[in-house]
Amino acid sequence: MDEKFDCIVIGGGVAGLAAAMTLARNNMKFLLIERGEFAGSKNVSGGVLWGSDLAKLVPNYWEEEDGGWERFINHRRLTLMDEQSAFTIDFKSSHFNETPYTGVVVLRSKFDNWLSGKVQEAIDASDYAMDSFIATNIKVDEVIMENDKAVGIRTGEDEFHADSVIIAEGVNNLLTRQVGLQDKYVPADHMLTGIKEIIRFDQEVLEQKFQLNGLSGMSNEFVGSATDGVEGGGFLYTNRDTISLGLVLSIKDMREKKKSPHDVLNHFKTHPAIADIIKDGEVVEYSAHVVSSGDSRVMPKELYKDGILLAGESANLLMNAGKAIQGMDYAMRSGILAAETIVKAKEKGDFSSATLKEYRSAMDQSYVMKDINGFQDAVHLLHTETMQQKVPNLLCDFGRQFFTIKNEPTPKSKDMLKGAVKRHASFWELAKLGFKAGKSL
Amino acid sequence: MKNLKLTERLGLVSYRNQSKSEIKPHIVVDTDVCNSTCPHKCTTWVCPANCYTMDDNDQVHFQVEDCIECGTCMYACDQGAVDWNFPDPEIGRGVTWNFG
Ligand SMILES: Cc1cc2nc3c(=O)[nH]c(=O)nc-3n(C[C@H](O)[C@H](O)[C@H](O)COP(=O)(O)OP(=O)(O)OC[C@H]3O[C@@H](n4cnc5c(N)ncnc54)[C@H](O)[C@@H]3O)c2cc1C
Ligand code: SF4
Ligand code: SF4
Repeated sequence: MDEKFDCIVIGGGVAGLAAAMTLARNNMKFLLIERGEFAGSKNVSGGVLWGSDLAKLVPNYWEEEDGGWERFINHRRLTLMDEQSAFTIDFKSSHFNETPYTGVVVLRSKFDNWLSGKVQEAIDASDYAMDSFIATNIKVDEVIMENDKAVGIRTGEDEFHADSVIIAEGVNNLLTRQVGLQDKYVPADHMLTGIKEIIRFDQEVLEQKFQLNGLSGMSNEFVGSATDGVEGGGFLYTNRDTISLGLVLSIKDMREKKKSPHDVLNHFKTHPAIADIIKDGEVVEYSAHVVSSGDSRVMPKELYKDGILLAGESANLLMNAGKAIQGMDYAMRSGILAAETIVKAKEKGDFSSATLKEYRSAMDQSYVMKDINGFQDAVHLLHTETMQQKVPNLLCDFGRQFFTIKNEPTPKSKDMLKGAVKRHASFWELAKLGFKAGKSL
Repeated sequence: MKNLKLTERLGLVSYRNQSKSEIKPHIVVDTDVCNSTCPHKCTTWVCPANCYTMDDNDQVHFQVEDCIECGTCMYACDQGAVDWNFPDPEIGRGVTWNFG
């Protein structure tokens, strides 16, 4: 392996694998390095892979008997919680049964590993079948810079050289910091801890519990007392015979409110709406991983420099405005666009930022940067006390009255709503919220 | 369903290089900072694997064996006491997720 590669991809997560697949399809000679035992072994998500880019990487992936994914989403729920109640918006549609699916639930240890197998197939079919590699169990210690241009990587005593490096190392982006694209210390302000349990059921029981049909699946997001007063939210996704149940919690807020993520998870699991769902399940894994908030203030100054492109969450590319967490689809699209830029750079024979800046324009034109830039107000709004507590409390209070039938005259709904608003917020606050939400969504 | 204790939860985690008695720690904490100037000692509650603990004399201790590589302490510690890295695949600890 002493020859020079066109590209070295650091990280075998969604971003790195999407980049590698694109490089292989374009007959590039590359090396993908992953520190885990296998691709995916270090990775945690909720997680729903939203959108249909997966079909670009692995056409007709749904035809495979046991592909890397768990279930496709045709049923979505958004739940606002107070301590005792759950007010849910529920939407199910057979529109979502059509392929290519618009969301599939994945478990990363299986999904990334499967996708990496597909990348290997693409390598085998390329001109560089014997010269491109996926190398696991290797940790990149440093990106080698010469005259402020990346020329390769170092791992322990070994060096590998390349015309370009795609950094797809994920959110804990030590190498992005090393090359100066991110500050050395990233404060807790816009970062969250994701914490999660995998809970197993008998598959038939699970399918009945959630009204699943074949490989259909459900996604449920939670706002309100799910997080026990900490900024953040909850999620529940159905896998084949398990569910992924977890929370994302603001690190700064936990620091200030003296809350432990595992205690907050226990609190969530004992909420009556959740306790009833999980009562006959068995916890088979407990995991945690940092995740970005989608706040652009934490993102690296630039997505490229001479010889380097950043893809996925190493650039904090993520969107969470309450209705879904989008990190994997952003990772996938940015990985594809980064690799396409490298292909162009090779054609031109120029890997300097003069060419690599085209990645920036491709990203700016893509839905990723358009959404990140367009929904910043919604991201901020989600993290306000009004959205985190007042609205869930108010809706649950209203719901409790609306659905209570007593043997006495029933007040009009509008009076119930008025009362609920008065108890938890003010009309002025709600008017402001409605105005902000109207603008930001 | 009964909530699991943290030790039971961590018992479900597959750690790497378990057979090695000596591992190279991937995180180094300067506990002198913890035990002198740190105003909050927040890592003792935000770490989801309880790697940072406080003893009866309010002294902070750190152990890397249970670390699940989440990254939280790297952001939570604003005192510069945490030197954070990924574990070495051969001689470090760290995790291999079964589900992820
Ligand atoms: C609890 C939780 C729930 C989430 N839910 C969702 C969801 O429902 N939908 C969604 O789209 N997103 C979700 N996300 C976000 C999503 O998981 C991430 O955005 C996504 O994984 C980013 O992909 P990536 O490829 O950029 O990084 P990663 O998946 O983190 O991959 C980075 C890879 O690089 C490797 N690596 C790092 N450094 C080195 C090195 N020095 N040398 C070699 N290899 C290295 C790592 O081992 C890893 O394999 C969630 C995240 C969490 C924590
Ligand atoms: S926050 Fe930093 S300095 Fe304070 S106890 Fe934790 S590791 Fe030590
Ligand atoms: S990386 Fe996560 S699990 Fe490891 S010590 Fe830091 S906070 Fe704890």
